[in-house]
Amino acid sequence: MDEKNKMELAQIRAKLKKLLVSQLSLENVKAEEIKDDEVLFGEGLGLDSLDAVEIVVLLQRNFGLDVKDMNQGKKIFYSVDTLAKYIHENRKK
Amino acid sequence: MLKKKRNAKGWFWFFRLVLILFGLRGGYLLLSFVCLHYLIFDRAAVEATLAYVQRRFPDDGLLKKRLHVYRIFISQGKGIIDRFAATAGSKTFRIRFKEQEKVQSLIKKNDSGFILLTAHVGNWMLAMTALGKLNRKVYLVVRPEDNPVAVRSLNLSRENEFIKIISPEQDLGGVVEMMKVLGEGGIVSIMGDRCYDFTAVKVDFLGAKAMFPCGAFSIAAASGVPVVVLLSAKLSTYEYMVDMSHIFYPRYEEGVSKREQIAAWVQNFSCLLEQYVNQHPYQCLLFYDVWKRAREKETEHG
Repeated sequence: MDEKNKMELAQIRAKLKKLLVSQLSLENVKAEEIKDDEVLFGEGLGLDSLDAVEIVVLLQRNFGLDVKDMNQGKKIFYSVDTLAKYIHENRKK
Repeated sequence: MLKKKRNAKGWFWFFRLVLILFGLRGGYLLLSFVCLHYLIFDRAAVEATLAYVQRRFPDDGLLKKRLHVYRIFISQGKGIIDRFAATAGSKTFRIRFKEQEKVQSLIKKNDSGFILLTAHVGNWMLAMTALGKLNRKVYLVVRPEDNPVAVRSLNLSRENEFIKIISPEQDLGGVVEMMKVLGEGGIVSIMGDRCYDFTAVKVDFLGAKAMFPCGAFSIAAASGVPVVVLLSAKLSTYEYMVDMSHIFYPRYEEGVSKREQIAAWVQNFSCLLEQYVNQHPYQCLLFYDVWKRAREKETEHG
């Protein structure tokens, strides 16, 4: 991965973390405290199905992306890193 | 009562045969003996039903409560027989829609879909078959293994043209698929009294705290679609009522916690359900303890 892509990914991750904290009303969690590879659902950040709904909307409103393949859902929503990669790859198309 | 482990497949064919040989009333007569058998010998089914009966008829004695259980078994059995009769085409039931024009106008105005919030009351499966009039695809959020009778009597499968299944056990509770089909104009039918894997909230129901899922309202608020409550009841041997007159438009208000707002919407649904079971006490087919989970949650949190 070249430097430009790396930088873009880092920017997406940072934006995502801020959005997760604000849109999901995460209490006592700061954006910079969320690790890139931290598991979002269940163990880790402890998000639940209500938050999954919010993330779907967050992707639509902020990145213009629809998660159409439900089989990919779990893989994409695994961590900030997987979400960022999904956004990065699909925004370019 | 008639779950897979209680040989639903066997009962399905048995009642089908009875229906062919003796008609609807013959089936009902036989049902009274079958239900008596369950009342005496199926402790698990009786226990499961008693959770509701104890809340709905708190002042009645032990024997009277057993009688209520029996009447609920009969009601469920009649519903199953009616569905067989309707799907086999041997009997036509009159389905009286309450304020149907509200939903029709909603469909005319909106290209996007809506959430159909229903519950284990009346004959929701028969009501589903009547939804063909709406001319939209219906996606039922159910675990087929929990509803073998529904799957058979509604001829449910992923290939069914009109009614399709969304499994709540898939990734993220099926949220992604639900939001996708809503965007395409589909109707997503969710059970408002069964949690599956979706997040649930504590609500007041029949005098105590119960756990009801909040997926319907959170998905509706996020997708900007309405929630139509569907409640059905058997009015007489050949007549059913389908009430879709209660329509919610959940939208988040700024400055109030989203979870609090969702809990308030679910509470509204619970109130509607309570009104329904007060009117039709024997058509509530809640065969599990929705109050137990709320009690467990309270214990967990001290």
